[in-house]
Amino acid sequence: MTIGGIGIRNVWRNKTRTSLTVLGGAVAVVAFILLRTVLWAWNVGVEYSAKDRLATRHKVSLIMPVPKRYVDNIRQIPGIKETTWANWFGGKDPRRPDEFFGTLAVDPASFFQVYSEMSVPPPDLARWQEDRRGAIVGDVLARKLGVKVGDKVTLQGTIFPGDWEFNVDGIYVATQKSVDRSQLLFHWAYLNESLPERNKDLVGWIISRIDNPSQSAALTMAVDKLFDEKDVQTTTMSERSMNNSFMAAFSAILTALNIVSVIILLIMMLILGNTIAMGVRERTREYGVLRALGFSPKHVATFVIGEALTIGVLAGVLGCALSYPIVQLGMGRWLEENMGAFFPYFRISLETALFAAALSVLLGAVSAIIPAMQASKLTIIDALRRVG
Amino acid sequence: METSTEKSETALAQPKAKSTTGQTIVELRGVTKVFWRGKEELRVLDGINLDIPEGSFEALMGPSGSGKSTLLNLIAGLDRVSSGTARVANRDLTTLGDSDLAKFRAQTVGFIFQAYNLMPVLTARENVELPLLLTNLSGAERKKRALTALRVVGLEDRTEHYPRQLSGGQEQRVAIARAIVNDPAIIVADEPTGDLDRKSADDILNLLDKLNREFKKTILMVTHDPAAAERATILRKLDKGVLI
Repeated sequence: MTIGGIGIRNVWRNKTRTSLTVLGGAVAVVAFILLRTVLWAWNVGVEYSAKDRLATRHKVSLIMPVPKRYVDNIRQIPGIKETTWANWFGGKDPRRPDEFFGTLAVDPASFFQVYSEMSVPPPDLARWQEDRRGAIVGDVLARKLGVKVGDKVTLQGTIFPGDWEFNVDGIYVATQKSVDRSQLLFHWAYLNESLPERNKDLVGWIISRIDNPSQSAALTMAVDKLFDEKDVQTTTMSERSMNNSFMAAFSAILTALNIVSVIILLIMMLILGNTIAMGVRERTREYGVLRALGFSPKHVATFVIGEALTIGVLAGVLGCALSYPIVQLGMGRWLEENMGAFFPYFRISLETALFAAALSVLLGAVSAIIPAMQASKLTIIDALRRVG
Repeated sequence: METSTEKSETALAQPKAKSTTGQTIVELRGVTKVFWRGKEELRVLDGINLDIPEGSFEALMGPSGSGKSTLLNLIAGLDRVSSGTARVANRDLTTLGDSDLAKFRAQTVGFIFQAYNLMPVLTARENVELPLLLTNLSGAERKKRALTALRVVGLEDRTEHYPRQLSGGQEQRVAIARAIVNDPAIIVADEPTGDLDRKSADDILNLLDKLNREFKKTILMVTHDPAAAERATILRKLDKGVLI
């Protein structure tokens, strides 16, 4: 028997209240883990960006195109290994117009050389490269659209109006967790030939693979310098910076999520604090007896904090345990299937789980500070006079 | 040389020969206790002079509000005098800091409350062991002493029972075991039979009598019960904060 041990035993004196408090704390931990995982998954594309890839876009905005001839210019720069390009197409499945997935017009000859983390069986790739109306579909999107190799799929263009029919020539899978497996890729030439003359031969952005990642900074400057005197100037950046700038557009949402996660923790602390305060009120007389027996105010505070820590540990452990089926297996799978462009890989990281559990324990202790101070400041006589 | 822990164990396990040292264990001089209700002064004790010889069994009686419990609290180091001096077991309580006063209570005083005040989450043995958590004794030694104290009060067959599994009289006996486990110099009892039926009250009084006669414990008991007061060797009466 120890002083802390008695505090732990006190936790279970009111089993219903403690159970509800632990459950409340656990729900808060689950909500916290969910929000932190959303933030983590949102940034996973940035975290897993290739170090040896550069992206070049119009200097003014990502939505403004650059001339396709720039691709050939960039290929001439020493240190550039491979270069490809893409246009955002903005196609939708007319059967499910509310569902979002990425549709890109790409160069079939070079795209998978630059994006080697997307894998297509070589015969399918070869067939696609020869098929001007062919498309390669991510495995998650193929499942969602219910298509397989050999099928036809028709999309409605939102940026380039009309019905666009594609032959599904292959399914790509990801060899890296940051890859969006819900994209449809088709020939840039197919799009280009359908455009009016003034819009022809323009590309959305250019992606280059470089020989040596340590030369990344020098090469970004070299690329942009190449077009400094041209009508259309460019901004070149590492893939990580490009993804970061994309994420910056959603910074308000991310900040809001951060704030909500903090608020959830504060609510959890108040729930714990209230329970501990009720326990202290009920046991005031016992604390008086302990003081009469020679226990110090510090000992009394240890009783109270030990109780709060126990509840914090239980809430943290239960919250982490519940998070796996709820967040990872339930919501995570759904988000990967339906919002793969934003959440290609939705998993609870070990750091998030440990952080949540540690915070739960810490907040348990913090929530007990005021009740512990009140309990330790009671005079013995006042405490002994207190009834139940 | 006998260590203090050995001495304590011996003191609990073996009754002493019937004798008193005749030394004064409690010495109060001009003790006054004042409480404030807003701006109104309440003089609960007024110039108390009191000597309690070591080994005596004293009862303190008086009407409600006469200051009995306040006097008991001052002697036990639960509260501080407003003026005057209070020496208990050769310690001047008026000069002790909070920490030393807590040590004094842990080492010198055994408490028996009217409402037993056992911790419901602890067994009888663990309740008795509670004051020993403040010592450097090992877990095994603490357990051994708690069992000895429970044997003294006749509860060796209830050591692992929780308070809710005991009768009122048994609970009070556990409280008495808790009060003597540290071998205190003085036991203070505030209405120890107040919540008990006559038979249980007699059992408790017999036990206190035994602790006084056989174990030479000095006992100061506040009571309203004339039958309880009769067991004491000295009866003191308090009225309106003055000993009469």
